Amino acid sequence: MTSATTPVNPATPTGSTPTLPRVSIQGAVKKFGDTTVLDGIDLQVKAGEVAVLIGPSGAGKSTLLRCINGLERLTAGSVDIDGVRLEYRESSLNRMREHVGMVFQSFNLFPHLTALENITMAQISVSKRSKVEARDRAATLLARVGLADKAGSYPSALSGGQQQRVAIARALAMTPKLMLFDEPTSALDPELVGEVLQVMRELADEGMTMVVVTHEMRFARQVADHVVLLADGGIVEEGPPEKVLDAPESARARTFLNQIADD
Amino acid sequence: MEFIDALVTSWPTLVKGLSVTLSLTALTLTFSVILGAIIVALKMSKVKAFSAFATAYLAIVRGVPLIALLFVIYFGIVSIVKVDAFTAAAIGLSVHSSAYVAEIFRSGISSVHNGQIEASRSLGMTRVATMSRVVAPQALRVVVPALVNQAIISLKDSAVASFITVDELFMSAQRLSAATFQPLTYYAIVSIYYLAIVGAMTYLSGRVERYFAKRG
Repeated sequence: MTSATTPVNPATPTGSTPTLPRVSIQGAVKKFGDTTVLDGIDLQVKAGEVAVLIGPSGAGKSTLLRCINGLERLTAGSVDIDGVRLEYRESSLNRMREHVGMVFQSFNLFPHLTALENITMAQISVSKRSKVEARDRAATLLARVGLADKAGSYPSALSGGQQQRVAIARALAMTPKLMLFDEPTSALDPELVGEVLQVMRELADEGMTMVVVTHEMRFARQVADHVVLLADGGIVEEGPPEKVLDAPESARARTFLNQIADD
Repeated sequence: MEFIDALVTSWPTLVKGLSVTLSLTALTLTFSVILGAIIVALKMSKVKAFSAFATAYLAIVRGVPLIALLFVIYFGIVSIVKVDAFTAAAIGLSVHSSAYVAEIFRSGISSVHNGQIEASRSLGMTRVATMSRVVAPQALRVVVPALVNQAIISLKDSAVASFITVDELFMSAQRLSAATFQPLTYYAIVSIYYLAIVGAMTYLSGRVERYFAKRG
């Protein structure tokens, strides 16, 4: 696709303690009314690590991901990013989110803006970059995701795979130190999945810290440093992909992995 | 061809009334958009007192006939500060219309998918920036055609101002009909005036809708 010449992960923790995890989730509980979606989750993601969350639908994977950047509020427990506790005050949420990128299943590009404008808006509004600076960066990122020629296109004129690549570029423009992917390929036609996974793979190779909710087992196997299998709001298995995917200890994990192997 | 004669000779009188009607409509549209925006902001506020106030405002304004509202405002305001009938009519029509404009804004905002708000917020955009740069531009395509429609309603509603002595288009026709004892002629003529303007606004509304449809 494109060469990885532009470093997008400036947030290598030079000044911070190397032992501090990028993300630390402790005792995370999330209830929607009477339904408990997350039932006391502990999870740590180190800087530069790719964590992949898998599990049956309704396991709480997306909810857990959305709790990391505060799109969902934890009922109990805590999230720390680089040792900074997540708080739900507007100002601290905004400060945290500026450097935590998120990519959604349904892309959520802004339909009234071109691909380029989608990538410049928050740079100008949040990061206070100049228009020229923002446009340069957006153009570079579009080239990176292989869409240099689509800068002036509106999302409605782009394929799903192209839209998702623009959405990734939009998140990267904010120089995130952490990227969250919420089933980024689930809404795509099968032939478009590869181009998005390729961009994510390159990102991982450059050392971006990523938390990915996905059903793409091949991606998990090849890219993940850390696979977390969730079921019924809890972690049933976690560790390196070869352990979780090939030699799971729990019966629940084996059932799930057998089910998806049949597909 | 008495009717044609009447149409021609009444022109100078009616065109004066028409200009009052048009300025009343323009003022109504302007202030009801401002008021409507404030009301919808209050309605969506997390502060309970604000949203309760907006709910009450909407219930009262929508529950009272325009003419009753106009009379209450006219006689109510006149008893406190001296304002002319035109000002009172502009206030009354604006308040009345603002309830519907607020509803138009609300439906425009809710037409924008929640994922848009989440995408914007997850980039660190503030609530206000999200509203002005992401939600509002997308809501416009629903809001603008509905606002043009509301302007048409306000134009026709403004005839009610004649009841509090505002010398607008309908009042002018009333006066002509009283002076000539030809009510049918002059009410027919004034209807043609309203029809012509509503026709022009409908045409405009169609153009606006097509403009927004094209932008995808």
